[in-house]
Amino acid sequence: MLFTRGLSRISRTGYSRRQWAFSSLRNNEHQLMQHYNHSLPPLHSSEKVWGFRVIHSLVSNALSGVGQQVHDQSSSVIEERLDPFSLVADELSILANNLRSMVVAKVPKLATAAEYFFKMGVEGKRFRPAVLLLMATALDVPMCIHPPDATVDTLPTELRSRQQCMAEITEMIHVASLCHDDVLDDADTRRGIGSLNFVMGNKIAVLAGDFLLSRACLALASLKNTEVVTLMATALKHLVNGETMQMTTATDQRYSMEYYMQKTYYKTASLISNSCKAIAILAGQTAEVSILAYEYGKNLGLAYQLIDDVLDFTGTSTLLGKGSLSDIHHGIITAPILFAMEEFPELRAIVDRGFDNPANVDIALEYLGKSRGIQRTRELATKHANLASAAIYSLPKNDNNDVQESRRALVELTQRVITRTK
Amino acid sequence: MIHVASLLHDDVLDDADTRRGIGSLNFMMGNKLAVLAGDFLLSRACVALASLKNTEVVSLLATVVEHLVTGETMQMTTTSEQRCSMEYYMQKTYYKTASLISNSCKAIALLAGQTAEVSMMAFEYGKNLGLAYQLIDDVLDFTGTSTSLGKGSLSDIRHGIITAPILYALEEFPELRVVVDQGFDNPANVNRALEYLRKSHGIQRTRDLARKHANLASVAIDSLPQNDEEDVQRSRRALAELTQRVITRTK
Repeated sequence: MLFTRGLSRISRTGYSRRQWAFSSLRNNEHQLMQHYNHSLPPLHSSEKVWGFRVIHSLVSNALSGVGQQVHDQSSSVIEERLDPFSLVADELSILANNLRSMVVAKVPKLATAAEYFFKMGVEGKRFRPAVLLLMATALDVPMCIHPPDATVDTLPTELRSRQQCMAEITEMIHVASLCHDDVLDDADTRRGIGSLNFVMGNKIAVLAGDFLLSRACLALASLKNTEVVTLMATALKHLVNGETMQMTTATDQRYSMEYYMQKTYYKTASLISNSCKAIAILAGQTAEVSILAYEYGKNLGLAYQLIDDVLDFTGTSTLLGKGSLSDIHHGIITAPILFAMEEFPELRAIVDRGFDNPANVDIALEYLGKSRGIQRTRELATKHANLASAAIYSLPKNDNNDVQESRRALVELTQRVITRTK
Repeated sequence: MIHVASLLHDDVLDDADTRRGIGSLNFMMGNKLAVLAGDFLLSRACVALASLKNTEVVSLLATVVEHLVTGETMQMTTTSEQRCSMEYYMQKTYYKTASLISNSCKAIALLAGQTAEVSMMAFEYGKNLGLAYQLIDDVLDFTGTSTSLGKGSLSDIRHGIITAPILYALEEFPELRVVVDQGFDNPANVNRALEYLRKSHGIQRTRDLARKHANLASVAIDSLPQNDEEDVQRSRRALAELTQRVITRTK
């Protein structure tokens, strides 16, 4: 397997410098996190590219606050910011291949449909599998058994294989839900290409979703852990709940922040939180640790969605109305508008009228601009991101380098989720 | 729940207006809600499945869902060659109709802690019962409540679905193939096909095949380990009775 060699390559080149810098960081972690909030550079698109790549970006701004020691004792400024995805890049490409082989079907048309979103180039950000693999390491599951002879390829431990399988299951459930959601929403595009229902029709899209679900269930059963099966069945139930909540809201519920957060938990956070918990359970962790893993996933998911809501309005600029505005055009009321409605009750009348009329969209955007809706949504996202980080810090102490690195990567992800611009 | 979920999705796929004598869900409430309702039932079935805490049973039922989907896709995407193949048809029928009941029967046996042998017999009962059921369904679509042809709803052939009676007729009258390939949008073609069917032994041979499967199902029950308890014996007789009802029913 290539991934072990790849990982040791990362470790050897940057490890000593990074470890050293981070050991000084650890003492000032919380201040640093505050610092990160304000001065992180925008997310690089390399996150979307698969393969083995460490992002070299200068973080002297962020790190200079740590102290002169860094400059004094290292000949060059610390250049490698931790890239969470590169830590698991090799494993992720193995996962991609596994997924492609797991969705092979006997009937050609079904095969084409099922693998539609697993083809090269359209696998999406693979966010969930990356989180799950990092979580697995963070909970002290070695990625491989270190053999005495380092030149020999090592196989992942059985536990690691099971956790990789878990990541695959999560991705399949996720894609299945995308297939059905696109049918429900009459979507034309997904991940930059035609949606499956658009390209092959609603019927095949429905079938493909069912097929992927059944494959996920089969893989789930093969793990022979009924607690994990229950967790994922619950996640599945929540996905449907969330979608149903979105389709069938009564007027009062549409304006309730509580209802919105519940729906968001069901639609976005439940899958990742329950998968994280499953990772912990497969690792034989205590109930306490499993809950911490769950809390990380949950808060990460919520933070992600809240920023998603903001970006739908702001796009890549911080100005209002530059985003795709797709939510509001579909009549979906998200957090920024909900906050704006708290400040300007008269906005409610506009929302009641609906947004088929573009003039209404403009009026709503005006209110949003006057309000603190965007800002408060960002603040809420930050709060959840911090809760996610806190969950990682609360994990039982572990001095293993890989474990620490993965934990830092998980924390890094919480920051990326809230600072990203697309 | 899995069965109803598949009906809901199938009706969306087939643009069906009615189901079980009432409007289909998609007809009444739209495709979207029907898809969602199907997903909802599937998810609840998964939760219930998980609560059984038996991963082998989970595997069985997950396989069923895959089979249901495969069967449906097979039906949607047949080549001309496959449409006229009895083997392809029986495979599709197993996936679409028999897999659910056979694997559920097997699951029942597993939950009861039965041996692999007994589980296999339960499976065989379900499978053969399901196949017999579908074959008679095919016949009734032509004959309806009468024994004469063309009194049934003819819904299969009108939807271009080639079932066992026609497949048998094709074996006897290869020229029927031309008609089949032309398709059945034209009602004249339906009449032509019915004529060939009438001349052939298609209906009779399908009934014979159904009886064969019904008997295999009975045999599976008879092969179960001896048990003198009255309830057990009565249930086994009931299961055997069902195999007869399935092939003698007229609707």
